[in-house]
Order: sequence, then C-alpha cells, then structure tokens
Amino acid sequence: MIEVKAITKTYGKSKNAFKALDNVSFTIPTGTSVGILGRSGSGKSTLMHAVSGLDKPESGEVIIDGQNILELNQKAVDQFRARTIGFIFQSFFVQPNETVEYNVSLPLEIAEVPTARRTQKIDAALEAVDLSDKKNSKARNLSGGQKQRLAIARAIVNEPSIIFADEPTGNLDSTTGQKIEDLLFDYNRRKGVTLIIVTHDEELARRCDMIINVKDGKIESVKEPAELKV
Amino acid sequence: MKRIDIAARAGRSLRQAKARTLLTSLAIAVGAFTLTLSLAAGEGSRQYADKLIASNVDEQSLFIAKDAALFGEGGSQFGGSGLSEYDPDAATRGNVTFKQLTAADIEAIRAVKGIKEIQPLYQVAIKYIKFEGKDTRYTSEVSTYGAGIVSETLVGSLPGRGEQIADGDIVIPEAYLETLGVKDASSMLGKSVAVTVGRTSSSVTSEQLAQAFASGGVEAAAALAQPEEKQFIYKVRAVTKQSATALASSSSVLIAPSQMKAISEFVTQGTAGFQKYMAATAIVNDGTDPATVKAVLEQKGYPTQTAKDLQSLIFTIVNILQGIVIGFAALALIASVFGIINTQYISVLERTQQIGLMKALGMSGRDIAKLFRYEAAWIGFLGGLIGSLLAFVIGTAVNPWVTEQLSLGEGNSLLIFQLIPIVILIVSLMVIAMVAGYFPSRKAAKLDPIEALRTE
Repeated sequence: MIEVKAITKTYGKSKNAFKALDNVSFTIPTGTSVGILGRSGSGKSTLMHAVSGLDKPESGEVIIDGQNILELNQKAVDQFRARTIGFIFQSFFVQPNETVEYNVSLPLEIAEVPTARRTQKIDAALEAVDLSDKKNSKARNLSGGQKQRLAIARAIVNEPSIIFADEPTGNLDSTTGQKIEDLLFDYNRRKGVTLIIVTHDEELARRCDMIINVKDGKIESVKEPAELKV
Repeated sequence: MKRIDIAARAGRSLRQAKARTLLTSLAIAVGAFTLTLSLAAGEGSRQYADKLIASNVDEQSLFIAKDAALFGEGGSQFGGSGLSEYDPDAATRGNVTFKQLTAADIEAIRAVKGIKEIQPLYQVAIKYIKFEGKDTRYTSEVSTYGAGIVSETLVGSLPGRGEQIADGDIVIPEAYLETLGVKDASSMLGKSVAVTVGRTSSSVTSEQLAQAFASGGVEAAAALAQPEEKQFIYKVRAVTKQSATALASSSSVLIAPSQMKAISEFVTQGTAGFQKYMAATAIVNDGTDPATVKAVLEQKGYPTQTAKDLQSLIFTIVNILQGIVIGFAALALIASVFGIINTQYISVLERTQQIGLMKALGMSGRDIAKLFRYEAAWIGFLGGLIGSLLAFVIGTAVNPWVTEQLSLGEGNSLLIFQLIPIVILIVSLMVIAMVAGYFPSRKAAKLDPIEALRTE
C-alpha cells in the first residue's frame, strides 16, 4: 500500500517560489492500477518523482508498505528503488549501443542479483514482452514499440512491487501504444503489481482502476476503484 | 553494484566509442612508449656497466689514494684560492694539487689486516717501444698487468687469477697487430720487445761535469747532461683479445709490477716524484668484505673506493640520464592526463540520460563515479599496453643495430626489457588515469536524475 500524506514540494526561493505540489494526500492499495492525470506543468511528474523517492518534498510523508521513504538516507532510497520499483519512460531511455540482454541486465546488476540467477530472470522478462528473439540485438536496431517493450522488460526483470510509467505511449503510434498498454495492464493483473501511469491521455487513464486528477500542484479529484466500477 | 559488473560496463561503453578511446589512450601510449624504452635502456646500461666492471675490476680490490679529491669528493684543493701550502708529497695535475701516497704509506696500508697485496699505481711515460724484426719505433702506453682479472687471449697463455706474469714477460693487445702489419698472431709469441725510457740527469753535480769536461772535453760533458736512456727487454707471452668490455688491456702493453716499479723508479730517480704515487690498488683477502677494510683505511686517513663504489659511480651517471628521459615522459603523461579529463567530461555530458536512468534505477552516486573512473582506468591500461608493446617490438627490432652502432660488443644489448617494471608501469598508468578521471566522475555522480531524465 502507498500512503501519501500532505506532501508539499516547492521549487525556487522566496519571491520566485513555485509550489509544484501543494499539500497532496492519497492512498493507493497494493495491486491497483492508477492513472495520474494532468496537463503538462500540473505537477504530475513531480508527484511521481516524490512517490518513487527520486525527489524529496520538504514536508509530508510517503509511506510505502509501512516505511516512510522520505526518512531514509540516500543509500537506503537507492536500494529501495532498485528492489521495489520499475520505471518506464516516454522516451524509453534504453541504452542504444548495448544489446537487449545488457539493457535488461542493468537493474539486476544494480540490485546485485547473483550472476547465476540473472540469465533466467532476463529470459523470463524478455519472454513476457515477446522480445526473446532480439536478445543479442543492439537496442538501437529496434523499432519504437520494441524499444518500449524492452523498457518494460527492464522494468519488470527484478520483479518490482510498483511500476511507474511516465507517458508510456507518448512516443508511439496508436496501434503500438495500444499493445504496450495491454502489456502493462495484463502484467498488473497477472502479478498483482501496483501500476502507476502518469499521463495526460484521458483514454489511457480511464483504463486504470483509479484516477488521480492533478491540477496546479493540487489534487482536483480522486476516483476510487469502487466509483469507477459502478 | 559489484565492481566486476561496473568494470564490464565501463569496458563495453569504451568499445562503443572506439575512435575516441583509442585516440585518448594513444596520448598515454606516447608516455608509456618513452618510459618503457628508458627503463629498458637504463637496465641495459646497468647490466653493461656491471659487465664492464666485472671484466676489468676484481671485486675484492680497493682503490686507495691519499687525497679524497681524486675520487671527486671533499677535494679541498679544488677551486681554492690558487695559493695553498706547499707539500713535498703533493703532485700537481693541471690546476689541481693532489696529496700523494709515499712508500711509507704503502707499507702502512700493506700492514692493515685483510690486505692481501698492494700495488702502487705506476705512471710511466716511455720514450718508445720496438718490436723484434721491425725497425720502426712506436709510442705506446705501458701498464701493470692486473692479476685480478684474466683476459681472454688470442694466442699464448696467461697465468690463473691472482698470479703474476714473469718479469721477462710482456702482453700486447690485439689492436697492435694491425699497426704492426702482423697477420699471424702466433708469430708474435716469444718475440722480444724493447721498451726504452729516458730521464734527465738531474743528479749530475757540477763536480762530475767538471770532471767529464776535464777528461773528455765538451762532448763528454754534453753526453753526461743529456737525458739518460735505458732499455728494458721483454718477450711476448700472449696477445689479448679485443674485448668490448675490457678497458685497460685494449691500448697498452702489460708488464709485471716489479718491472713497472723498476721503470718508474728509473724515470723518477732524483726527482720529487720518486716513490710517490697518486693511488694504489690493493686486493683484499678472499672471504673478507672489502667494505670493512675500506672503513679501516679511511679511518687511517686513506680515502678508499671499493669495486662496488666504482659501480655505483657509473650507475649514478646512468640514473641521471635515465631521470632526464623519464622527466620528458612524465611531461607527455601530464598532457595525456588533460586528454583523459577532457574526454571523460565530454563522455559525461553525452551520457547524461544514461546516468540519469542508472540513478533512477537505484545506482548510487559512488557506483556511477566508479563507472567513469574505471573507464579512465581502461584507457590508461590500453595506453600503457599499446605504448609498452610498441616499445618492445620496435626496441627488439632495432636493438641489434643500436648495439652495433655503439659497439657494445657481442652478448650485450642497449635495451633490456623486463616484465615486472612494465607491469608496474601499466598499473601506475591505470592509477594516473583514474586520478585524471576523478573530476569528470564526480560530475557524473552529482548529476540530478530528474534533470537528466527531463525530456524535451
């Protein structure tokens, strides 16, 4: 479970101060798919950074499975991210000159997974995104959709409990985007992984169990899973 | 992240920028090349000097003087006011006055425990030398036959180590044969050699002159005042081989010490130089450390050098020359350090997103810094390897030619490559490269992942 309690994040100082997040609170049950919906500049990305431990809000709490990650030191936060979080980005951020295999291997190396267990995990992740046959290809030779599937494989390889996806279909055509969405929601349902999608695409958000609407650093509305199902 | 994984990623990312990696490491390779060659040349010179000393100097021998200035240390007479106290036992060479050893000094040294034998350094200038069957008179140097080292002979034979040649023997160097026009060296054996020396008759008194004038007139008096000449006759015992590492035997004829003494005393009789010697050579008993005898002698006021001291003197020169070359190599390395810093800074800028992603995935700043430092280390390793390999290949190829040009002789080479110094060199280059990579790596470590991952 993710509990966000009254987090505030300010950029700049005194006169130029700008509140990117203003007293934001919400709760996400484990295994839920969540759409954080908002226009660019609304603070939705800052929110993702704060919840994933990349950024530190100056006040409030982010409690993940009972642990306030804002209290952890840098090393513990790094370890927390390496073990429990997977990231997917709009621009993929795959390493073009590395092979598919080494791209997927990176989170395992960071989490210090023993070498002997890596191959099996990499194969499973590539199997899940249907890229097994591209294992030894260089990432730059993949198409856009394949690159995003590679990014998904990289996000899921270490079996995280939370996956953050920042505009995962933003750089893809609608057909390919649709496939990526299906892949993500399917994984979310099969593994019971919490999936948090940051997007400005209402259609995509509507596929989630829960929608958090962000505007000007504040939460405009939260549609709970119960409401959505009705 | 484990070191091995970081090192592997560092290696892969360098391979992906082959041209840049190669060019950066070539800068280091220049330094490594120079360093490897200078190390090899230093080693070669030291081994050569070693051989040179071993084949010319008995390691049990000591060189003893009265004046430390002779060894270039503490010479009070050097560069003085030009006016110094008169010493009847001193000799002047050029502007420098040396205290000399007297016969009494020689006896005092001979009495020191551990000294097997002592031989004063006889310095004789002969008038000319004549060989049997040749009418030509030649000038030549005459030196004492050294019993400590047995030279290789072309023909004839020499006594074993520690034994002297007979009084009537003379040993001539191979180089003389050409001047003499002798094709068959063995034909020289047993031939007689006449060494003629002269002295001015300073001992003639006015009384003797008057007597000679009275009995024989002007001619007799002139004959008496003329330089006296004396001939010493020897038989050729052996012809020594020309050796690249032998110094003394290459240009002078050798005779027994007793003969040297006889000639020297004949020449110097009646002069201030009679039985005065610049230096003396002593042989220490086998099993006695020359250094301990040296200490005793120095306490008695005789500056002494052992064979090892001589060696270290030559080594000092080699070390200074090597130091100069190493200095230039160090300059090349400093230049390459800036090359590494520059390349790594560019690399950090180019890979901002990659660094951001790695940090987002939970890679610590320390590990990111390590990644870039290891890349720098790889560049250092590559540069060191290229440089030293190139030096080895080129050095090995030109070695015979250089050795011949410097006429170092058979079995010697100027460049001697050793594995361990090269390995140490490469490891040091890796460390230097890592130090150079410190600043770029710190920049990478401090990168804000959110900034880095912001998409335009």
